[in-house]
This record gives sequence, C-alpha cells and structure tokens, in this order.
Amino acid sequence: MTRAPDLHADVGEILLTEEQIATRVAELGRRISEDYAGRPVTLVSVLKGSLPFMADLMRAIDLPLRIDLMEVSSYGGGATESSGLVRILKDLSATIEREDVLIVEDIIDTGLTLNYLVRYLRGKNPATLRICTLLDKPARRLVEIPVDYIGFTIPDQFVVGYGLDYGELYRNLRFVGVLKPEVYAGPAEAEAAGV
Amino acid sequence: MDSSTPFAHASEAEMARILDFYAVRWSYEPETFPILWNLDGDVVESFSPDFYLPDLDLYLEMTTLRQKLVRKKNRKLRRLRELYPGINIKLFYERDFRALMLKYGKVALADGLSGTLGQVAAPYGDPAPTAAIRATDETDETDTPAEADSGDIPAATVSTATTSAARRRNRRLARAAAGAP
Repeated sequence: MTRAPDLHADVGEILLTEEQIATRVAELGRRISEDYAGRPVTLVSVLKGSLPFMADLMRAIDLPLRIDLMEVSSYGGGATESSGLVRILKDLSATIEREDVLIVEDIIDTGLTLNYLVRYLRGKNPATLRICTLLDKPARRLVEIPVDYIGFTIPDQFVVGYGLDYGELYRNLRFVGVLKPEVYAGPAEAEAAGV
Repeated sequence: MDSSTPFAHASEAEMARILDFYAVRWSYEPETFPILWNLDGDVVESFSPDFYLPDLDLYLEMTTLRQKLVRKKNRKLRRLRELYPGINIKLFYERDFRALMLKYGKVALADGLSGTLGQVAAPYGDPAPTAAIRATDETDETDTPAEADSGDIPAATVSTATTSAARRRNRRLARAAAGAP
C-alpha cells in the first residue's frame, strides 16, 4: 500500500530553522557583495531545488545583477535513464560570455551534476565562474569541486525542505529537515529504522 | 564505453551507467597494485580498484558487502595508501550506494544490487537485474591472492588480467549459487 505523504510529520528532525537559513543567506549576500565589489554578476540557478535559495540570496546581494535559470535532467528521472546521458532541460536565456557568473545550488553531494554544469558553463566563456551552495554534504563527494560560498556543511542525512525534495514533495517547507527513513524505506532502511 | 565490460557486481554496472550519464569517463579495473610481498619478493596480495576516472585522476572502489568484509577491504585500502601515497582513491560503501540510489529515486533497485544479491552483474548496457542469484554471504568480493591479480602480475598489468579475474569470480559465484563445491 502506498504511504500518503504528510508534509510535517514525515520530517524527523529540523536540521536548519527558517531563522538560521535567513541569517546565513544574509551573510552570504554580504560576502558576495564585498567580493564582487560593484561589478555586475549573473546568478545562474539550477532548477528546481535552488529556487527558494536563489530568491532569498539575490535579495541579499547589493550589486547590479542578472539572473538566469537552468535545469538538467537527473539520473533516474526518465524512462531511458539506464542508457541515457544528462540533458539540458532548460538552457540559459542569455549569453554569459565575459560575464562574472555565480552558480547558485541548493546542495552539493556527489558533485556529479555540478561537475557537468561547470564544464558546460565554462564552454560559454564567462569572465569568472564561481559556485555558491546553500548546503554542502562532503561525505558523499565523488567529484571534488572548489566551492566558493557554502551556507552550511551538513551531515550525511537525507534532507528536504527549502527547495529540496523527495519525490517532488517537501520543497515548500520553510526549514531544512531530515526525512524519516520510513518515508523512503526499502527493506534495509526499514530494518535499520525499526519500521 | 564498451558494453561488454564484465563487471563483477551489479552495483558496479549501475555506477558505470551513472558515470556515463554525467559524462564522466571511466575505465574498469585498469590497474593492479601489489600491496604485500613474501620474503622472496613475490607479490602475495594485490588490489585492483574497480574504476579509474581519468578526468578526475581518481580511483573508485565499491564495496557492497557485509561489515566484516568491508573491514578487510579497509585494511587493504590503508595498505594501498601507505605504499602509493600519490594515489587518489575513494571507497564507496554500501551506505553510499544506497544513498545514491535514494537520491535518484531507486531505493528498490538498491535492494537488488547490494551485497550478495548483486553479485551477478547485468550486462553493462542493460538495466539492472530484477532477480539476482543468491550466493553465499561469506563470499569475499575483495581481491585475494588466489585470484588473478596476484603474485606474478606486475603493477603495470592492466585490463586483460583483471577482467579475467572478474570472470573467474563470477564463475565461482555462479558455482556457489548452484550448490557446486
């Protein structure tokens, strides 16, 4: 029987409160404003998870800025994934050549998607290309990529909220929380969690 | 990539598909590193990381078996790092693989690919198997001196020897699954 999702009850622990996130986003905005020191910057947000972070971060940056959105397919996200290749589902709407570009990510774990994105964007010849992520989960890293701005380094737990989803749900939570294992439990997780 | 790659474990085939998806180049068991010699100077133990990712200069070793066997692999990995400090290698544990499958919405698939259930690898180009052969849980997926990447193989030996090892390992597992001695 399929388990009905319960937005709040499915979260076992709040990892980052709304206030903690707001404070940190404001700090990141100040740092980015200082680092670019009056130069225009183009923020490139990676859909869908980074939308809330992008919306808050851009308002915390005191610079002339442009925004653009990209979306790339995720492994396992399509019927032909087993033999497929990552695809750009939504490309940039304007050129970034000779622009200062800041990629805005919700979370970096394996680094596979970001690695692909960085290579793709470098091919468009930006003046500079930096990376800002709200969450960094280094325990899962496969591809080491230098990250310029990190909101929070988090433990190796499955988190949702503030844009992050499980099965496209939970993105609208105002906080970042740890999803209860029974929500996504396969037999091993269920056994470990005692469910 | 070559669709005939003889993966020793279904989780390795799945990892190859993930790397391909994200356009990360890889080669399967391209090198064997001697890690233990006897007094005569013969290699008695060696280690063949599952993947090498040339663009990242990274070796990747996957382990999806029980903790006891993971400890053995951890020991070999420590020895490898002592002897070859310039090597960049990551061990990908079962929990890492499960987390990856969770991230990609494939938790159910992880159950079929983890541990001994995943010992019979699907052809690389095909989706992972829905049913896998059960083999003894005592089987060690780590490289052992009894297998091909052993004493008489120098460090520079590459894929032909190691893929033979994978094929022998698969045959041994298949015999175990069939109840053969």
